[in-house]
Amino acid sequence: MKLKTFYAEHESFILGTGFIVILLAFWESVPLWYTLPKGMALFFTTPSKVAAAFQQLLINGEIEKHFYVSAIAFLAGLGLSIIVGLPLGLLMGRSQTLEALLDPYVTSFNASPRIVWLPLMILWFGIGIWSKIVIVFAGAVFPLLINTYAGVKNVNRVLVNVVRSFGANEWQLMKVVVLPNSLPYIIAGLRLAIGRAILGVVVGEFFGSSQGLGYMIASAATNYKVDVVFVGVAIFMTLSVILTLAVKRLESRLASWRPETAKTF
Amino acid sequence: MNAKVYYTEHRRLVLGVLSVIFLVAAWELLLTYVFPVNPFFFTKPSLIAEAFKEQVQGAKLWHDLAISSRAFLWGFSFAVIVGIPMGLVMGWRRRVEYALDPFLTAMYASPLVALAPLLIIVFGVGVLGKAALVFLLSVFPFVFNVFAGVKSTDALLINVIRSFGGTEKDLYFKVILPSTMPYLIAGARLAIGRGLVGIIVGEFYAASEGIGFAISQAGDTYRLPDMFVGIIILSVIAVVLTEAMRRLELTVAPWRAGEEVR
Repeated sequence: MKLKTFYAEHESFILGTGFIVILLAFWESVPLWYTLPKGMALFFTTPSKVAAAFQQLLINGEIEKHFYVSAIAFLAGLGLSIIVGLPLGLLMGRSQTLEALLDPYVTSFNASPRIVWLPLMILWFGIGIWSKIVIVFAGAVFPLLINTYAGVKNVNRVLVNVVRSFGANEWQLMKVVVLPNSLPYIIAGLRLAIGRAILGVVVGEFFGSSQGLGYMIASAATNYKVDVVFVGVAIFMTLSVILTLAVKRLESRLASWRPETAKTF
Repeated sequence: MNAKVYYTEHRRLVLGVLSVIFLVAAWELLLTYVFPVNPFFFTKPSLIAEAFKEQVQGAKLWHDLAISSRAFLWGFSFAVIVGIPMGLVMGWRRRVEYALDPFLTAMYASPLVALAPLLIIVFGVGVLGKAALVFLLSVFPFVFNVFAGVKSTDALLINVIRSFGGTEKDLYFKVILPSTMPYLIAGARLAIGRGLVGIIVGEFYAASEGIGFAISQAGDTYRLPDMFVGIIILSVIAVVLTEAMRRLELTVAPWRAGEEVR
């Protein structure tokens, strides 16, 4: 009886982890009951082999090396996009002229996949870290900019008028009303930006790169080292989930009054 | 005076068009008169226009577009076929939600593009590998948006159907699916963007034809005008498709205008 109440109380957790555990167990057990044809076996791996490969790569320092390179591209690109995206979004939200001037570019760049610029970026910035930073920046800056802009636009007019009536200048208005009110939007933008930034790191390192986790995945795939591919994919998955959840938590703390909307990554 | 009235009424449009014209003109003039063009690294609008004319008249561009859209449509259709029912069931059956939500959320949050090299090596450089990638990237927006749509269905409507003796089928087709529609379209918009990323990355990585391949090949051989033609065409397609979805969203559910954070 006690077990049953325990289950009822933690049903979502038990079912959620249970499903993942069963899925992994099933994956692990495939070679036991099914002999793969030779061609397929080349592409197949099991979770235990992936874990072993992870351990080995961790010991010989390979992961650390690649991770470091990827992390720098990620942080630099994301940092740059915050430095550019936030002020520009604030200005676009406050100035209608600037909004009208920049809107065509922002809308079209945001709607089109920034990845198409990668060959050009590699041509311009070489295959080093800079082409990755630029492509991460190009991916992450628009969600930040647009959300900041939307936040500023959504600021309560009454509050703005009150602060104005009491003689605040534009700078004080920004500090007292606009920025605090658009913070939840900015955080939501940050969550989207993180996803785009990681995408940029992965794809940027696939092509014309000699270091980084994306490179590790691509080169392992060409050498049929499927377990190493999955190590890389698992690292990216874990990082994305952790970062997204962290920002989500921040988001829900800041915006507990906002209605739930569909997940967007 | 008339011009002034027109300006105040269409300020946004006028300023937007002017800023685009100014940028293109500045680009052209700067590279013609101030810095001489190094054709290996830079190009200018007139050269791009020339390349554009040439490519539109030729057969290769259309062939590449056809190849890419075939892979895109296959992957996208499977995402629709799999994603919508999955989202419906997840939204309607609590236990299914509990079981699938953590796994699918993790998949959705992670950059599945990382699987691109593996998928292409397993399924080949043809349609199948790209379609698999497109499917993997675009299925989750459908699942989660349909899921959110079902969750937001008005409980009163469900009770009405139940009270009047409606079957499970009525419930799905008369209440849940219609009220999920705006979410579904929002999901489709996100899925289009992600699917295009899938096509591009797939074709950058390994392909012998397709618009993504054309872009990366033009880049590898320093044919910048051709590369810009490809980039512009792809961007225009992306903008048109997502804008169309946004319009559709607004006609189906005008009350949701501006509600969602892009």
